[in-house]
Amino acid sequence: MIKKKVTILNSSGLHARPSAALVKLASKFKSDFYIHMYGYRVNGKSILGVMTLAAEQGAELVFEVDGSDEKEALESILELVENKFGMINE
Amino acid sequence: MSIQKKGEISIKGLPGSEGIAIGKVLVLDQKKKKVQPRKIKSEFLQNHLNRYAKAKQQFLKELEELTTNLDNETAGILETQKHIVSDIEIEQRINAAIKNESYSVDYSIYKIFNEFIERLMESGSELFQQRIIDIENIRDRLIALSCENEKILEVEKGAILIVKEISPTDLVSYHEKGVAGLIMDKGGVTSHAAIIAHSLNIPCLVSTKVAVQSASLSKQAIVNATNGELILNPSKETLTVFRKKLRKIQRSKAALRISKKASETRDGIPFHLRANIEFPQELSIAKQFGAEGIGLLRTEALLYGGVAKKSESEQDIFYEQILLNSSGQVTIRLFDVGGDKLNAHTPDEANPFLGWRGIRMLLDEKEMLISQIRAILKVAGKFPGRIKILVPMISVFEEIVEVKKVITQVKKSLISEGSKVDESVEIGIMIEVPSVALLAKHFAKEVDFFSIGTNDLTQYTLAVDRGNEQISALYQQHHPSVWQLIKLTKEAADENEIDLSVCGELAGDTLGASCLIGMGINDLSMSPTSIARVKETLINQSSAELKKLSEQILACKTNSEVQNFYKSWK
Repeated sequence: MIKKKVTILNSSGLHARPSAALVKLASKFKSDFYIHMYGYRVNGKSILGVMTLAAEQGAELVFEVDGSDEKEALESILELVENKFGMINE
Repeated sequence: MSIQKKGEISIKGLPGSEGIAIGKVLVLDQKKKKVQPRKIKSEFLQNHLNRYAKAKQQFLKELEELTTNLDNETAGILETQKHIVSDIEIEQRINAAIKNESYSVDYSIYKIFNEFIERLMESGSELFQQRIIDIENIRDRLIALSCENEKILEVEKGAILIVKEISPTDLVSYHEKGVAGLIMDKGGVTSHAAIIAHSLNIPCLVSTKVAVQSASLSKQAIVNATNGELILNPSKETLTVFRKKLRKIQRSKAALRISKKASETRDGIPFHLRANIEFPQELSIAKQFGAEGIGLLRTEALLYGGVAKKSESEQDIFYEQILLNSSGQVTIRLFDVGGDKLNAHTPDEANPFLGWRGIRMLLDEKEMLISQIRAILKVAGKFPGRIKILVPMISVFEEIVEVKKVITQVKKSLISEGSKVDESVEIGIMIEVPSVALLAKHFAKEVDFFSIGTNDLTQYTLAVDRGNEQISALYQQHHPSVWQLIKLTKEAADENEIDLSVCGELAGDTLGASCLIGMGINDLSMSPTSIARVKETLINQSSAELKKLSEQILACKTNSEVQNFYKSWK
């Protein structure tokens, strides 16, 4: 299991469409994916779970990935976060 | 809400999708079935699990069907909806609620979704709050699908649907049944129903708050989404105003549809429809209606306002603006005015239309002619191959010889000044005086193209002053004599292989255009707003049918024979 601290960069936070992008990507991997924020722990493959975090810009999250492809999975997910979830009109 | 004219109720809302719709009121005041906690017996567990799985599948299928034909933005929103419907966390918990707690499928869906919705509400974030209505819609749709397919009410075509809120899928179903406008009391302009309404191209108002309760007794409504207004029980006057507006919108929509089609007859013979314009402001309309270039640019406006002769540089700017904001050919007609436009001191003429005008005046006022030709040739140098010069009101052969001499001189002096010149600018004449049509075979050897100005040709052929109301019935632009002169002109153009176009009103009416195309004249220029109507007529005919029509018309003796042939042919 690996854990990694991340900060949300895009201006409107983890709203519906970034959440969808995150969930879509995470679901491609076998590993379990959880997100911790302020004491909450949600399934990172559940869009409603991710949305209920209501993570805004600057929010600090901890990603927890556990499984056979955890390294690859985390790498891809971090890349997505860094690219602001591919939201062009930020 | 305010009451205006007798019984008319106006309600404000936010425009979710622009446009105007007029229709019967259809109020959907669905009392939401309250979902109660309900336990089920163990033998029904599997049945409820299956019903949830099936509802989910059905919903995803509906969303999939919606996604085709949508723009990226809308497709992205539906993509998010799909993720929510197939959320694994939700799925696991709903299944657990049915299996472990023996809750009914509807209550399980209700309970689990609400857990997430409550947490979203607690988050206090504006942006997420807006999504709650969408998630509630998904929840309710799933519940409806898992119980029994929701009944869609029967709809009269063109009805205005008035609801508190509606799911995207229901909206699509109602639209398929004929709903033509949507009023939603709740929701914002970015709510999914509004976005779907936009992509279905139906006018939609949201946030109307009181529409459902106000409309319960109303029969008819007008949605003016562009202005954010719903009008219930509109008065006769209001209806007339909006029917007019609606027709205008529909016309321009139809024009847009037609402008995208290829300009060819049903059997694939191409033709060109161009625009007659006078001001740069008309270019966007010409473009909107699909004009292939400018077949006639009138330049007289440069002379109006008491200025006898606009300076060459002012003319440069005018022509350049036209060329920059258009594509394809631009045929510029030299100043075509009577002497009265030149200065106020010119004596009144008894018969101005038979008097000192067009090229007759320009050849006397050489300075003015030269300044215009200089300006045109300079701009032509910047836009090589696009400009043609059209000489108006030629009546005798010597005139065109002299104009050409002037043009050659101006070219020479421009070149010696170092200006860029388009050496091959085509020079053509208006065929508007019968003498020229009769001798077209000689003129055709002297010029690059002919453009038939049917308005003047009609008035000179029939000796009818267009402006004289007493004899207006004699102004017959479809008169057989006019067609004979057009035929002579066409034969001369063919024999000498020069281009021929028609730029009068005849080209912009469906009879005239049909017959011209039938005669093989496939280059027509008209007022931009006529293009769609003419094109629609022409693309639905075969060249053989048009040819037959033109042969019949050319055999006619009177104007009424022409009209009768056309009626029976249509």
